[in-house]
Amino acid sequence: MNALYLAFAYLRYHWARSLVMVLVVGLILFVPLATQILLSTSERTLTARADATPLILGAKGSQLDLTMAALYFSEERPEPLPMAEAEAVWDSGLGTPIPVHTAFSSGGFRIVGTTLDYFDFRDLTISDGRGLAVLGEAVIGANVARALERGVGDALVSAPENLFDLDGVYPLEMPIVGVLAPTNTADDDAVFVDIKTAWVIQGIGHGHEDVVTASEVAAGLDVTANAAIVEYQRITPDNIDSFHFHGAENEFPATAVIVVPYDTRSGTILRGRYLDPEGRTQLVEPAGVVGGLVDRIFRIKTLLDVVTAVIAVAALAAVGLAVFLSYRLRAGEIATAVKIGARRGMVLRLLASETVTLLLLSGLIALAGAALVARNAEAWVGWLLALGT
Amino acid sequence: MARLLAVLATMLFAAGAAAAPDRPRVVAVNYALAYIAERLLGDAAEVVYPVPDGTDPSFWRPSIADISAIQSADLILLNGAGFATWTAKVSLPRSKLVDTSRGLADRLIATETVTHSHGDGGEHSHEGTASYTWLDPEIALRQAQAVANALKARGLEDEGRVDDRLALLAADLAALDAAADEALGALSTTVFVATHPRYQYLARAYGLTILSLEWEAGAAPTGDELAELRQLVAERGAEVLIWEAEPPEGARAAIAELGLQDAVFPPLAVEPPAADFVAAFAAGIEAIAAAASRAESG
Amino acid sequence: MVKVADLGFSYPGGDFRLRVPALTLDDGERLAIVGPSGSGKTTLLNLIAGIFRPNTGRIDIAGTDVAALPDAARRRFRASTIGFVFQDFALLDYLTARQNILYPYRIAPGLRLDAAARARAEALAEASGIADKLDRHPEALSQGEQQRVAICRALVTEPKLVLSDEATGNLDPESKTRILDLLFARAEEAGASVLAVTHDHELLPKFDRVLDFAEFRQGRPA
Repeated sequence: MNALYLAFAYLRYHWARSLVMVLVVGLILFVPLATQILLSTSERTLTARADATPLILGAKGSQLDLTMAALYFSEERPEPLPMAEAEAVWDSGLGTPIPVHTAFSSGGFRIVGTTLDYFDFRDLTISDGRGLAVLGEAVIGANVARALERGVGDALVSAPENLFDLDGVYPLEMPIVGVLAPTNTADDDAVFVDIKTAWVIQGIGHGHEDVVTASEVAAGLDVTANAAIVEYQRITPDNIDSFHFHGAENEFPATAVIVVPYDTRSGTILRGRYLDPEGRTQLVEPAGVVGGLVDRIFRIKTLLDVVTAVIAVAALAAVGLAVFLSYRLRAGEIATAVKIGARRGMVLRLLASETVTLLLLSGLIALAGAALVARNAEAWVGWLLALGT
Repeated sequence: MARLLAVLATMLFAAGAAAAPDRPRVVAVNYALAYIAERLLGDAAEVVYPVPDGTDPSFWRPSIADISAIQSADLILLNGAGFATWTAKVSLPRSKLVDTSRGLADRLIATETVTHSHGDGGEHSHEGTASYTWLDPEIALRQAQAVANALKARGLEDEGRVDDRLALLAADLAALDAAADEALGALSTTVFVATHPRYQYLARAYGLTILSLEWEAGAAPTGDELAELRQLVAERGAEVLIWEAEPPEGARAAIAELGLQDAVFPPLAVEPPAADFVAAFAAGIEAIAAAASRAESG
Repeated sequence: MVKVADLGFSYPGGDFRLRVPALTLDDGERLAIVGPSGSGKTTLLNLIAGIFRPNTGRIDIAGTDVAALPDAARRRFRASTIGFVFQDFALLDYLTARQNILYPYRIAPGLRLDAAARARAEALAEASGIADKLDRHPEALSQGEQQRVAICRALVTEPKLVLSDEATGNLDPESKTRILDLLFARAEEAGASVLAVTHDHELLPKFDRVLDFAEFRQGRPA
């Protein structure tokens, strides 16, 4: 007890030095812990979603881009494929195709145009409001609702993009009709609309009136808080009848089509159908693609571990030196203590108490940090995945 | 032990009985498809035609509650061919949708082109499609086959029973076709006028000439509308007017004054009064054939 | 109080040798030891305190032959019987004055930090005029105040003997006198003898007896 008492007195008196040591050691312990937690969570998250998504149909190109776009709504823009491909899957009778259209965003979140089948497939439940019903409506993920502080009754406006270089295509204001219950997946960060609504944003479908004008925006009707948007369109009961689509739906684009085969055999047959090297489409298995990605992440992690180990050795050597120097500085105290009658063991215990206290505090800090990381890992990993892609 | 099993069995039976009212629901966007579905399903599922009485299903706009009820159906039968434009503006589960005219693109009839412009986008055109496909019994049969396939694929009714019922329906439609051939086949010289453009497929199937007006449904014709009809009589030699439904008092007399015969042929997008699809179709054929013969004998 | 007889000591491997044929210190007596640097004065203090062990001879303190005690017992004896005052005060910078005074209780075996010990510390500080500075760290105290704290620390365990090694060496002349008076006063209150090594000849008259260490000085062995 006395040794601890003195150790505390010493550490408190030299608080700045103690703090630096505690933080340095804490960091050395924390970094590998945190990376381990984040990596295993990423692996779990990535793998879980990939495993839950049997097949993805997309245009030929990077399988990773396609997978990231279809699973995590990343900013990759794989070449779109025509809806006829989804219809072909229907006609095959081998699986359910679920198109996703992820070319647009709103408030920094992806607008995911899809069909109602997606909600059933992902088992998404509405926590507030209702599901999609009418063209132009949006159902938002839990994180979107929290981040944008929007809910049922509010509206979102698609970010203006000149992707397709179409004149006269204005951003679309979409009423929020529902908020999804959180799932800790990319679905929490998505703005879901009917794929037909996505086509309206793209300019394939449009109405014949009612672009909200600059003067209305100036009058305070702006819901975007984005000065760059001066005009946008809005689908209302009054103008919905004038909305129409140009061309055949079969030619309308989707970013990817999630394919859920009815059974293993159907999956095998389907995969066989898209093996043609001359074909313009590919059918990928997300589990395999993500497995490769995870392998790569873990190879990088091994490197990271080595770096961490080297840094840890260096830092521990520095800490050891600091401790040793402080022992040297206290030679006088030790001599005094011995003269007064302290055992040699007492002196050692005193110094050990200090070192152990330091390590304990560092460990606590590292553990607290690790606990914080662990608790938020899923959210942060979701964010990292969205960010890094 | 035996008693426990008996109790369990009773409970299971009770649960099964309680679940029985939960019959599958099939939604059809028009009466023709609802009729086909009912014929094919028997009691195996509840067939719902969601459009309220007195509303033209082509122009119906469902409420959110209607949409929600339709979304939760087990199967949603669309007519395609541009019928029921609301279906393009509503979110429906693609896995439940069946477009019954899919694969019949080559049999569809294009209507005149509408050209318009909006904003600074310049002019562009919309090509329309005639929607009342089922008025050609052959197309109706193809649509029935599509419905039958969907019912079987989704296991809403036993395949054998569906096939049996489809055979019966096909026979009825074939009989209808034969009767129409017989009654209308020789009327290629008669000029018909319809109060609405509904009969394109009927006309093509039996070589009829059916001009069309755009009269206010269910109302007595106005002076302008009658003038338009008079012009058709003078310029095109129109002889028989086809009503969609029994016209209001006095309207018939106004037609007769123009020297026209008239007949009622319900286009069967909504349920006709006091008859089913086949019977109403047959009656319509007879009615216009009779009107044509009255016009001949003048 | 202290009886030294036939004491002989040399550092292992060194050629310094100390020989003290006889030295006595009575109860309550105040003895000053003077002598040139390197004559072995501090070595003698360390021998009496039991920090070093003599090669030959006896050191009786309050009837105990310190030289004959085993290590642990010697330390316990030292902690309970002897108080130390050092030239450089040897205060710990990270402890307050009060914690410094009570430091022996934190490190020495056999000493219990109880209410009586705390009360003694307060009383000593009060008598030494530093009662209002007990919560300060040494850096916030003057040198004189620091040495008062050191004296309080030496006496708080109620030693029978106070060993002082140039306790006034670093102080200005005025302070030297005051500190020595203070040490004597506190020792007298406690009934402790004082054995002080000093260079300050002007202070010698205050002692009961002065021992010139040159008497014991043994040069290199013949």
